[in-house]
Amino acid sequence: MEIIPTTIGSYPRPDWFKEYLKRVEGLQKEGMNEIEKGEYKKALAEILNEQKNAGIKLLTDGQLVWQNMLCHLCTRIKGFEMSGLIRYFDNNTYYLMPRATTKLERRGDIIAEEFRLAHEIQPEIKAVISCFTLVELSKDEFYKNKKEFIMDMAKIMNQEVRKLVENGAEYIQIDEPSLLYAGKEDLEITREAIEVIHRGVEAKFFLATYFRDAEAIFPEILDFPVDVLGLDFVEGYEKNLELLREYRVTKEIQAGIVDGRNTKIEGRDDIKERINAILGIIDSDVLYVSPNTGLEFLPYQKASEKLRTMCDSVI
Amino acid sequence: MTRRLLPTTVVGSYPKPKWLNHLIGEYAKGKISDEIMEQAYQDSIKAVVKEHELAGVDILWDGEMRREEMTSYFAEHIDGFEIYGDVRVWGNNYYKKPAIVSRVGYRDELTIPEYSSLRTITTNEIKVPITGAYTIVDWSFNEFYPRKEDAVYALAEVINEDLRGLVKAGAGYIQIDDPAIPTHPDEIEIAKNSLEIATKGINAYLGIHICYGDYSKIYPEVLEFPVDQLDFELANKNFKDIEIFKEYEFTKDIGFGCLDVHTRRIESVEEIKTNIRKAFQLVEPEKIYVDPDCGLKLLPQGIAFEKLRNMCQAARELREELV
Repeated sequence: MEIIPTTIGSYPRPDWFKEYLKRVEGLQKEGMNEIEKGEYKKALAEILNEQKNAGIKLLTDGQLVWQNMLCHLCTRIKGFEMSGLIRYFDNNTYYLMPRATTKLERRGDIIAEEFRLAHEIQPEIKAVISCFTLVELSKDEFYKNKKEFIMDMAKIMNQEVRKLVENGAEYIQIDEPSLLYAGKEDLEITREAIEVIHRGVEAKFFLATYFRDAEAIFPEILDFPVDVLGLDFVEGYEKNLELLREYRVTKEIQAGIVDGRNTKIEGRDDIKERINAILGIIDSDVLYVSPNTGLEFLPYQKASEKLRTMCDSVI
Repeated sequence: MTRRLLPTTVVGSYPKPKWLNHLIGEYAKGKISDEIMEQAYQDSIKAVVKEHELAGVDILWDGEMRREEMTSYFAEHIDGFEIYGDVRVWGNNYYKKPAIVSRVGYRDELTIPEYSSLRTITTNEIKVPITGAYTIVDWSFNEFYPRKEDAVYALAEVINEDLRGLVKAGAGYIQIDDPAIPTHPDEIEIAKNSLEIATKGINAYLGIHICYGDYSKIYPEVLEFPVDQLDFELANKNFKDIEIFKEYEFTKDIGFGCLDVHTRRIESVEEIKTNIRKAFQLVEPEKIYVDPDCGLKLLPQGIAFEKLRNMCQAARELREELV
């Protein structure tokens, strides 16, 4: 059995980089320009180093220039305009709500360039995209047909994933927290959408869910064309264990076992106990362990402390 | 308390003078003394009070010159909190998110020095805003208490102790700022209980300010809160929420947010009058307090002043029409 520590996506920005972004972008900016590559790479190297030193084996680029949570991806897709601030799930963080006003089209790289820069520094990087959740957190003023909206998003993400793989990506994570709140019909559309994202691509696919237990996506999720299923074992510990017991899950699991939204550092024994509980149910050779969410909900120095404790507990 | 009809007031914050922000920065770097910083706070408050008086505001506050933010300002003065660093709220905006690391306890006076110092420089009535226990806990990390409500109730006791001192110091009008309440409608009982604790034995006119959020999820339950007045943001959502409030008899006084603080557009006196009249659909004019949607601190100072002045003028004209 191999246990691989990984991260989910976001990472708090180093203080100097926060100040830098405030200076060049003001309080809120919608796209990415004006940021000097040198400054970005310096910040990126810092947070990759933090992850590496903590013991993380499969890293993420920390989404350092994302102007908000997942919905940031929409700012780089033609067809979206940004409107007022909206709360991101039950967090005290807000994103500019994207509005789809014309047919979606790929305008250029979404995250492929950021991935390339991270990959230059550290080879083991997991690229993070999304699809259904982006549609769900946006406002549709064009499609009037949700499936079309989702499928157009999926086609764009397929193009992006191809570019990512060209740039060296071997691991692709599709973040879908909204799926945990979705109905069965949306689940079926999302399954088709992920098939489209997957098309013609050689990579290991992760589907990440968080913020609550995964009851809403079982058993349908078992047929999704992904290799790894990410579950939140902080918010949905008992329920997710129960789901794993009830259904024979042949996919690998990415288990969110430490709380990415609380500065309280978990005890190593607690972490070990959680891991052992999961290992006792699944029969795969690999378990990915991670915080349950991205880490930008934490102050900078607490993020690495969290990761270090988690990694130390799996040795 | 007897008051003129449609008294005008503020929610709390006002734009800080540029020179004050500059000095706060210098003070953080250790470049100026405590004494000079204290003088700067006092002088800036005098400037803000004068502006409020010129604008015609009946019930004042000090513009929250000393408060950097509505959670960490209190957390820094209460035992049990630690602040590790910044956490993002939106875009490039961050706040010092406090963490509860041990049992919370009353240490420093929170609002009392602010009130006492303001009392010496204005004869107007004063409203004292304080962030509610529920919101402080919701916007903090909880490392210590097993359940969220345990933290909320313990903190409500701390707030209660400060309010007792505040009333003793002479304050007659207190506003509890609790914008986190509509974000977790399933926890409204916890919020209500926290207010019961915080306001226990407090003999003053009490309001609660709630902004953002979906009011349909907390109404009519908020009518059961132990306060005299409910203060809402209404202009920003173009007064649509009035329909929600109409479904049940509005049994409290209303703080009627009638200036949109998220736009730099200066609403005209006529427009504001039309908007204030919408409150008449809910309650008698005697039960209406006129104020902006929220604190004005994110607006340029000149625009904040013009908006306030028009709001006060609108209330005065309506008052004359009503008498």
